[in-house]
Amino acid sequence: MSDPQQFEAFMLKYQNMVFSTAMRLLANPSEAEDVAQEVFLKAFERFDDLQQSPTAGGWLKTVATNMSLNHLTRYRSRWSFFSELLKSNDADDAEPIEFAAPDTFEQDVEQADRHQLVDKALQKLPPAQRVPLVLFHLEGLSYEQIAAKLNVSLGKVKTDIFRAREALRKRLRSQLDEIRPA
Amino acid sequence: MNSEYEKQLELEVNRELQQLADLPAPATLAKRVRLAIEQRRRIKWYMQPWQNWPMPLRVGALALLLTMFGGLCFVSWRLTRAAGFAAALEEVGALFSGLNSIWNVINVLFGAVVLVFKHLGTGFLLGCAAIAGLAYALCIGLGTAWVRLAFARR
Repeated sequence: MSDPQQFEAFMLKYQNMVFSTAMRLLANPSEAEDVAQEVFLKAFERFDDLQQSPTAGGWLKTVATNMSLNHLTRYRSRWSFFSELLKSNDADDAEPIEFAAPDTFEQDVEQADRHQLVDKALQKLPPAQRVPLVLFHLEGLSYEQIAAKLNVSLGKVKTDIFRAREALRKRLRSQLDEIRPA
Repeated sequence: MNSEYEKQLELEVNRELQQLADLPAPATLAKRVRLAIEQRRRIKWYMQPWQNWPMPLRVGALALLLTMFGGLCFVSWRLTRAAGFAAALEEVGALFSGLNSIWNVINVLFGAVVLVFKHLGTGFLLGCAAIAGLAYALCIGLGTAWVRLAFARR
């Protein structure tokens, strides 16, 4: 049987990463905590192998991603429906990109606050856009891999990611404008 | 939308997201995991799946099952060679004599159905078969259409 103290240390080392992975996909703290708990229970079952493994972090991230996606699949029809409803909000009005440059932005808000804003903006995206965006930019999956994982067409993945980027840009710009002093 | 804009947008979003630090896990997470592990530990070994049993017990259980199976095979083989086996077989046959009457009833009913079909003629039977086949094909067609509509890739 595994040493509980060693597992505790293992859990403390990776809990933020596991929780973040689940949270950024699910955008719901209590659901992300449930998924993180399941991930660590799975890890406990094979702790003897994971303990010394240099790829333990990667294993945990993969399991957290898959479990979060499984969790979302249960609500797939619901979030697909909402995704269709929200289509009209994402007009293709290509405007110049106005992400605040880091050097000027630092005069207004701290880096940590900026991360918080990005995270909040990410959480406000509809699941159909957020999930492929997170898988692409944070999990490093290709468009093809995302299409296979979500069982949707390649075209839909590309469109959803583009819309997500657009929506994120708009949300961030409006939030930054609110914070920035006149 | 143009590809230059898309590329620039991708790079900007990527830069923003890559800079994100891990979110702090709730303080309750570690406690919840600990409690769940404790709960699992409290479940008696024999109530857990066989693969979770301690190794000696797993080996013991497997050996016991194999021994029992081997014993059963051996006893059966010995019984077939015993002197009173034929008489015992007859006794067992008598126990199931009730089944014989049920079989007779089924036979009579089947004969009656065959007689009715013969009376109705081949044309009627072919018509029935065609309708049944058509209904079956309709069910498959409707089912396929429903599955395609329900799980259509968007």
